[in-house]
Amino acid sequence: MAFYTGLFDALGLRGWCDADAQDGPMTMAQLLARSQGGGEVTVPWWNPPFPSLDALHEACNAIPRTRDLTSGLEQLFLDVRDGLRVVLDPLTQPLSWLLDGALWLFVSSPWWILIPLIMALCYVVSRSVSLILAVAASILLLAFIDHYDYAIQTLSIIFVCTALCVVFGIPIGIAMSKSNRFQRGMLPVLDMLQTLPSFVYLIPLIFLFSVTESKLYGIAIILYAIVPVIRLTDLGIRLVDKDVIEAANAFGMSGRQKLFQVEIPLALPNIMAGVNQTIMMALAMVVIASLVSAPGLGVLVLRGIRNLELGVGLVAGLGIVILAVILDRVSKAALARINTSHSTG
Amino acid sequence: MTMTAAASLATTADPDAETSARATPKISIRNLYKIFGETPVEALGHVRQGVGKVELLERFNHVLGLSDINVDIARGQITVIMGLSGSGKSTLIRHLNRLIDPTAGEVRVDDEDILTYGEQALRRLRQKQMSMVFQKFALLPHRTVMQNAGLSLHVGGEGQDVMEKEARRWLDRVGLKGYEQHYPHQLSGGMQQRVGIARALTSNSEIMLMDEAFSALDPLIRTDMQDLLLELQQELHKTIVFITHDLDEALKLADHLVILKDGYVVQQGEPQGILLNPADPYIEDFVSDINRARVLRVRSVMAPGDITRADLAGEIDHNATLEDVIAASGGETTHSYRVMKEGRPVGVLRMADLVKALVPRAASGQGPRTGAG
Repeated sequence: MAFYTGLFDALGLRGWCDADAQDGPMTMAQLLARSQGGGEVTVPWWNPPFPSLDALHEACNAIPRTRDLTSGLEQLFLDVRDGLRVVLDPLTQPLSWLLDGALWLFVSSPWWILIPLIMALCYVVSRSVSLILAVAASILLLAFIDHYDYAIQTLSIIFVCTALCVVFGIPIGIAMSKSNRFQRGMLPVLDMLQTLPSFVYLIPLIFLFSVTESKLYGIAIILYAIVPVIRLTDLGIRLVDKDVIEAANAFGMSGRQKLFQVEIPLALPNIMAGVNQTIMMALAMVVIASLVSAPGLGVLVLRGIRNLELGVGLVAGLGIVILAVILDRVSKAALARINTSHSTG
Repeated sequence: MTMTAAASLATTADPDAETSARATPKISIRNLYKIFGETPVEALGHVRQGVGKVELLERFNHVLGLSDINVDIARGQITVIMGLSGSGKSTLIRHLNRLIDPTAGEVRVDDEDILTYGEQALRRLRQKQMSMVFQKFALLPHRTVMQNAGLSLHVGGEGQDVMEKEARRWLDRVGLKGYEQHYPHQLSGGMQQRVGIARALTSNSEIMLMDEAFSALDPLIRTDMQDLLLELQQELHKTIVFITHDLDEALKLADHLVILKDGYVVQQGEPQGILLNPADPYIEDFVSDINRARVLRVRSVMAPGDITRADLAGEIDHNATLEDVIAASGGETTHSYRVMKEGRPVGVLRMADLVKALVPRAASGQGPRTGAG
């Protein structure tokens, strides 16, 4: 006799409750109660169970249990999965190729070519000799303790994902800055992407794609890291001096000329701040993505946790910190360079 | 040499040019209304039925920006639109190149209604026919001075060399030779506005719109820039629409003065005429603080004809300011002078009239009362 039986009887719903009485599989609680041989537990009147789905189900079979809800959700997802796959698989396949190609390129290039290349790239964006010396020292340190390959794998994933975030994020940000309605629609999506715990991204993706495919972690990283570049592009373009825009209009600029010759150049400091944030978030996610077979330093961290290999985990963690510092410094130096050439008087 | 020739040519041609300019204005604004709010067209109906600005705001929550504006802007002259902040002058100037579209009315440029223009035609108008100078300069901070000056040519798709040649020419003309490769933030405010003027001149447009162009500059530099503008105008004869809230500036620059208040035209006409015959107390108030001796000219105060009198103390030019005459007379108030225009006598100036003209009309109205009391 469950607590709420009387309620359903009083409402005259008994017939409806028992109409299609089908005993689903027992819950763990029921199993335990049976194995302990305890019969009916009497519930004191002053402490009724909360009228949750499970509690009501005990009194009335027609009401579903909570686990029916979760399994129903799962079933729904499985049902639409095949349809989604037909659409999403070909669309996202290039991402796998990009990630695998970049990984292959980075890992198979000899270190004595790749390290100077990275230094040259850093110099191009930052124009700071002391910075590239620090970068070189950091990479050589990682190489010296045999973490070079892992670090390079992580770098290649960040490189591809950040590039894609910029390619997709900046146009979305521009569209948001041009249309208040689109902005209103996008903001909740961006909020959700930013607040969802990073593990939650992985759950539906694991169902959708096979764990062996690199696009699985690629999508997770891009979804997580694209938000700042979108937000700051939108903000940057909205913050462009209204007087300058008016002058551009007054001299007969077309919309396209305004966008490429005025708005984007003037929003560039903000856009670059977004790119910096995107890089840092991609690095954070690439570690978590090692759960779904993303290679790199994250794998070592994961090994450290799983096998309780304290030293392996700590050294890999240090490697990640070093990478983070390098990426942050280089992108900030690029940002600072843009800021000085743009300073408004 | 060429400049003086052009200037003298301009002065000799002046009366004819003036009448023909009056006949076919470069820009004419007809029955222009601008109402800001949710349903401006509906609100326009209320305004036409006589609802005032305050009532429109309180009862219908719409702002009456401009109300029944009719102004002719003469070719080759400086038309100054003056008013305090909130009078609608910046709104009005933005209707001339349609940065703001009116609620009702017509804006005709060379007798073409620009409100019918599509996007293409409008862009061409802004590139070729009208240029604008802004209060806050509004230069592109990421472009050099040269690129800023050549903006309109660049936008219009001209080649790099044409753009650089023209930009360099006008930068030299406004006194910025040698600064071509600087960025705007490296220049002072006055120099930045010179770039703004060079940018407007480089477009080679006939019409220049100047929106409080000198208001952000400090007084000495402002005077310099006014002189520069007048000097350029001597040479170029652009059709200039100049917005200002400063009466001294307006009187110095204006060939035609339009005074706005709360979105309607209070009085318009030749500045000397407005100064001597203010149409209502608002304008009397406005003009009462002016140094009239420096602004009023002999031609506005003299009595025409009567040039044969023998007791004249000397000759003065019709364009001299009253200040000049006072200095010449040495403070003597009983003399009369023969007024000369281009070597011919045109009238007589009595010092007594001059002294009377120095007192604002409202104050002179109070004169007898003070005497009686």
